Amino acid sequence: MSCSEKEFRRRFLRRCLLRLLIGVFFLAVGLLRTDAAEQPVSFVNDVVPLLTKSGCNVGVCHAKAGGGQKGFQLSLLGFEPQEDFESLTKEGRNRRLFFGSPDQSLLLLKASGQMPHGGGVRLAANSEGYALLRQWIREGATFDSGVAPKLVSFEVQPARGTIQRLAEQKLKAIAKYSDGSVRDVSGMALYESNDKAMADVSERGLVKISDIVGNVAVMVRYQAKVAVYSASVPLGAPVENLPSSKNFVDEHVFANLKALGIPPSVICDDATFLRRVTLDIGGRLPTEEESAAFLASKDEGKRDKVIDELLRSPDYADFFANKWTALLKNRRDDESDTVSNFAFHAWVRDSFLANKPYDQFVRELLAATGTVIGNPPVAWYKRVKEPKQQIEDVAQLFLGVRMQCAQCHHHPFERWSQDDYYSLAAFFSQVGRKPSGTRGEDLIFHKRGIATAANMKTGVPLKPGALGDAIPEIAADEDPRLKLADWMGSKNNPFFAKSLVNRYWKHFFVRGLIEPEDDIRDTNPPTNPALLEALEKHFVASGFDLKELVRVITQSRAYQLSEVPNQHNIVDRQNYSRYYPRRLQAEVLLDAIDRLAGTQTDFANLPPGTRAVALPDNSYNRSSQFLRVFGRPEAESVCECERVQSSSLAQSLHLLNAPELKAKLAAATGRAERLAKEDKPAEAKVRELYLAAFSREPRPQELKTAIDYLNEPGTAANANYQDLIWALINTKEFLFNH
Amino acid sequence: MTDVVYCSRYRSMLLATLICGASLTSVLFGQSVGLPAPRLLTTIPMGAKVGTQVEVTISGEHIEDADELTFSDRRITAARKLNAAGQPEPNKYVVTIAADCPVGIHEARVMTRLGISSSRAFCVGTLDEAVQTKANTTLATAMELKVNSICNATMTQRAVDHYVFEGRKGQRIIVDCATRGIDSKLDAVVIIADAAGRDLLVERRGGVLDFSVPADGKYVIKVHELTFKGGQPHYYRLAVSELPVGAPIVRLPSTKPVNSFSWPPQGLKGQAELAESEPNNDRTKAQKISLPCDIAGSFFPAADVDVFEFEAKKGDVWWVEVASERFGLPTDPSILVQHVARTGDTEKATDVAEFSDIPSPVKVSSNGYAYDGPPYNAGSADILGKLEIKEDGLHRLQITDLFGGTRNDPKNIYRLVIRKAAPDFAVVAWALHMELRNGDRNAVSKPLALRGGATMALEVVTIRRDGFDGDIDLAMEGLPEGVTASGLKIPAGQSRGLILVTANQNAPRAVGSATFFGRATINGEVMTRPCRLASHAWPIPDSWGEIPSPRLMADVPVSVSGREFSPLTLTPPKEVQTVTAGEKLTIPLLHTRRSEFSGGTLQLKTMGAGFDRTPQFDVSLTADQSQAVLDTAALKTAPGDYLIAFYGGAVAKYRHQPEAIVAAEETHKKAVQELMAIEAEVKKLTEAAKAAATEAKPEADKAVEAASAKQKVATATVAAAAEKVKQATAAAQPRDIVDIVVSEPIKIRVNAPAGK
Repeated sequence: MSCSEKEFRRRFLRRCLLRLLIGVFFLAVGLLRTDAAEQPVSFVNDVVPLLTKSGCNVGVCHAKAGGGQKGFQLSLLGFEPQEDFESLTKEGRNRRLFFGSPDQSLLLLKASGQMPHGGGVRLAANSEGYALLRQWIREGATFDSGVAPKLVSFEVQPARGTIQRLAEQKLKAIAKYSDGSVRDVSGMALYESNDKAMADVSERGLVKISDIVGNVAVMVRYQAKVAVYSASVPLGAPVENLPSSKNFVDEHVFANLKALGIPPSVICDDATFLRRVTLDIGGRLPTEEESAAFLASKDEGKRDKVIDELLRSPDYADFFANKWTALLKNRRDDESDTVSNFAFHAWVRDSFLANKPYDQFVRELLAATGTVIGNPPVAWYKRVKEPKQQIEDVAQLFLGVRMQCAQCHHHPFERWSQDDYYSLAAFFSQVGRKPSGTRGEDLIFHKRGIATAANMKTGVPLKPGALGDAIPEIAADEDPRLKLADWMGSKNNPFFAKSLVNRYWKHFFVRGLIEPEDDIRDTNPPTNPALLEALEKHFVASGFDLKELVRVITQSRAYQLSEVPNQHNIVDRQNYSRYYPRRLQAEVLLDAIDRLAGTQTDFANLPPGTRAVALPDNSYNRSSQFLRVFGRPEAESVCECERVQSSSLAQSLHLLNAPELKAKLAAATGRAERLAKEDKPAEAKVRELYLAAFSREPRPQELKTAIDYLNEPGTAANANYQDLIWALINTKEFLFNH
Repeated sequence: MTDVVYCSRYRSMLLATLICGASLTSVLFGQSVGLPAPRLLTTIPMGAKVGTQVEVTISGEHIEDADELTFSDRRITAARKLNAAGQPEPNKYVVTIAADCPVGIHEARVMTRLGISSSRAFCVGTLDEAVQTKANTTLATAMELKVNSICNATMTQRAVDHYVFEGRKGQRIIVDCATRGIDSKLDAVVIIADAAGRDLLVERRGGVLDFSVPADGKYVIKVHELTFKGGQPHYYRLAVSELPVGAPIVRLPSTKPVNSFSWPPQGLKGQAELAESEPNNDRTKAQKISLPCDIAGSFFPAADVDVFEFEAKKGDVWWVEVASERFGLPTDPSILVQHVARTGDTEKATDVAEFSDIPSPVKVSSNGYAYDGPPYNAGSADILGKLEIKEDGLHRLQITDLFGGTRNDPKNIYRLVIRKAAPDFAVVAWALHMELRNGDRNAVSKPLALRGGATMALEVVTIRRDGFDGDIDLAMEGLPEGVTASGLKIPAGQSRGLILVTANQNAPRAVGSATFFGRATINGEVMTRPCRLASHAWPIPDSWGEIPSPRLMADVPVSVSGREFSPLTLTPPKEVQTVTAGEKLTIPLLHTRRSEFSGGTLQLKTMGAGFDRTPQFDVSLTADQSQAVLDTAALKTAPGDYLIAFYGGAVAKYRHQPEAIVAAEETHKKAVQELMAIEAEVKKLTEAAKAAATEAKPEADKAVEAASAKQKVATATVAAAAEKVKQATAAAQPRDIVDIVVSEPIKIRVNAPAGK
């Protein structure tokens, strides 16, 4: 044991004793002053961590970033001790600390609940923390920054490990200081699990694992430092008869499953695959003809071929443009937005159709100049006007980094400082605007000059910097945005490709390798790091080829696993041992219903037959209750979470009896009406319906049930077909991609 | 007695229809802006092959009585199309394009009762022409299009037009679509798809599709409006042609943007003397040039920087001009000139000058709801500036496109000229507009179609070149009889002037192609430069809902109606009004009113250098005369000769073609009389048939039948005539229309005070 450890232990024991004395012998407190004065309480290393642990300096309480309740403002999570000291000792008419009688300090009276406190009791009067604060006040409430040893590193023990289900693991948080001292700060550190369903962690660092298998991480924070405990929770079942690997995706997925002892489900059947991949790539159901041909084909390579066919089709471009335009905020607030929104949507869609490399796509967007009609990505600058908003959106969307916090203070979970934030903003500081002939639209150009952005707090102008990476000097004539695009598209960029492959992985597998998909940080590790790295490398090596990425993912056996769990993998929610079913998104579901019902939804001023996935912007949500109920986003956020995929009662009721749905079923030109009139056997008609809805033939029992229903006397034939279609729509098999 | 009854019945029917019509009219007509002006809005087809004859159908506003269809090039002629009976078919013409007619865009106009209409672009080309004759909005109804042909079509709203052509493997097919460049409102999306309609290649920015046919077979071209708008104003010409691999693409002809009036400088050669030579992207690869120079270059590839180096001497003054945006390209050139001092391997670059836009000579409309300036930008994103050399030695010039950071298009070319001062100017004009009603920009697309007694003002602006700062006089020649033009010069150091075109009350109906020019004395030499006319392609009643689309016109036609007159003429004395500087001048104005007006007064402003800061003043709209008082002391007007006019907005109770009611009533009366005669005949024949003997009965019945048929036709004729009366009466109902009233020009001489 080092001297410093001994010293800490000694101090710890003394403080325990102190707490005891305070608790038991209230009047004897004064006796401690001499002793305490010899070992003064450190504001930086004792008081601030205590305030943080007690939750005083979080956003909703007294953090300045959140406004600071009742005028008492502390820096968020104690990142600015100097400011906190000023706030405690000099503001609030000096009432916060009462040196004559420390217990009468407002700080202690409120924190201990002796005076009304909106935040409740944070430090009981008999707590160790209370005593610590009182001691600091008693000692004269000194500020010891520059004197006290500095926190130089922080770690959690153990850093990783394999742990069985329902087991517990106590974490130990160790802080190391500039004077060489080491301190166990387990009681003062903050703990947070990245998957609370898998692992819960107590305030003292006790991790309790649930019965869910996989990988989980616990973030441990202390002052401005973070550490991560990564746990692997195996199932331990025998993993035999793994499907043969189609590509590197399978190798990594299956290796992980083997390590965790989770046997994967079997490969799904052709019908399921065709429906799944058509929905995931083309955003639509397969046609009856496509399904019949695919099911009948004996070609061993037919799955790969259908993937290529879908990637060639405009459906792919429409579907992915629908995804990206919402994230890029292609939002209509005014009628005058119409042209720019159509142009922007079309640019995105055409980019995907032409398989423009992703780095080029982002480059054209970030460094857009000119007019919206001449260069549609300029429309992004109409939506996202301020440099701060621009870098926050760019960082979150294209780098998977959430920078918002760093605008006002050091990022609480990350290494990003305000300097990092404003250095990134500097890339957008030379965006010039000129009025255009179109109301509300500017011409965008590069304004000559040295790019800088002033740190809001220090006022120091900062040159462009890319999240810790040095950027060579940018001349006044050079558009800094192009340099940002160069950095993003460089092969070694740690965020750009990773963020995209993770986002696309989630598109196909429901769950990202990192969740949320746009929150990539050291403290939020991927569930399968090797797979993420391999995907990233493959994507970069392919020249940022999005279609190739989709191809390699969808060709994998992992993607083609059945959604039906085996006896073991029902507990798996993150290791892709089976396909995780997902409710069709609003636009896809509406199109699917139209296809099955043989109808078209009429969208204002668009050609009849326009699919919902091809809508250029959010404005159609206003007229479509269906799209609203099923969560089509309003393009207000770069977060995919704006799209609501959860279920609701309104959705169920809508599917059961909404007038819109009834009208589709009863449409004079609809499928029910046609089938009722068509002169062919009922069996053929039922087969057609099953192929249209599920891309498969009906099972014998299904066929019998349907035909019996159709043959029931007393009801008009068209009503029977309407009922049958209604019933098919209301099955999970229809409503979900599975 | 019978006749009286019939007459009475028809008259009451007519009255009823008139009453209905009148009440309808009062509901429909609120106050509108701009007296009716004839506007030719579409011609179908929009062009023709050189050396052929084609039938053209026109449509527009206030062109119902159009007679002549004329073109800016006399080698295109038109005659009314006659029906089988030898009568002209409404709105149809047979147009003949002579074999020697130049290929390109020409102006088409019609002469109407109100005078010459606004223009519509008419294209003459070399490809075979086709016309979309039926809906082709699905793959199944796709229109067959031969390679090396061009189709004239109108976009259907909320639809995609489909065409199909036969392609051979390896063929290079160029698909080009003319829209905005031929005055259409269409922002075209053009797609080449496979035979199943699946998109292969898409163009949405007005570019051209360069398609290498992958395999023999049918290919589909889809065309739609960017936001799926459609209807008459959204027309297009779709050309499909084969081009050898490697051959340069020649786009379909297009009208010129307004700001192109200032290019090229007088005497500039058609081809530049020098071409930029890549790589010249940085200082180590700078292209050596010597001044003066004339260089052709391209902003290619993306983020291209072209660097040139030249030697210059301290005190040298050069003028730098770049054209690129004025070619109609989406570029924004920028130049930086630095002095370079080298010591060994190190160098020090010092900024000497930066050049970017050519500012608009006058404030351009912000495109807001209220009118705050002309919606024409005579300035440009191009460059025109003075380069003063401050030190001897090496200088480096770098040119970039501020819009070119991510764009890879070799078609974005530029021409860079650096010359010694060659003082000069260019002028452009457009119809004067003022705030009449929020959002309305009626005047900016008006033709020079004058009513008798009217004065129309054109706003004229100049781009001055290489330091020229003197007066620019404005004039028009070749005007029709009874029409005069008075230029309110562009004063020295300023950029804006006006020209007033006045038709006297007795000017006969006529049209003429005028010559419009600016004239200045530069370095002792009188220089005359043509003044181009600019107009918007379409009337803009709501500037919030419509993006303006201005362009230059090829010619300056001026016409007089001869049939309709200005609601109000303000006539000052013809002789020069004299005043001594520092004193007040009172100018009597004679009012010739030919209409009722809403409101009792007209607020007048003053136009013309020296007096344009005169405070607004009111004149009565009911009086026959008024006077204007100009205070040269307050205005500090210097001694000299001046030309001014007064103008303001007045709301006239306009009656459209009231003489048409008389003619329609006359026609109706005749029709009624004919009908009555026929009815009498029928009655007579019916009675005769009843009384006819058996053998004569069939003949008598036949006669009754024939007369009854005539009666049916006559009844229909009466109904049609009544409808005409109704329409003419409705049109002639007084409507509140606000328009700009401009006085006739006033000559003023300000004398120096005695002893000075």
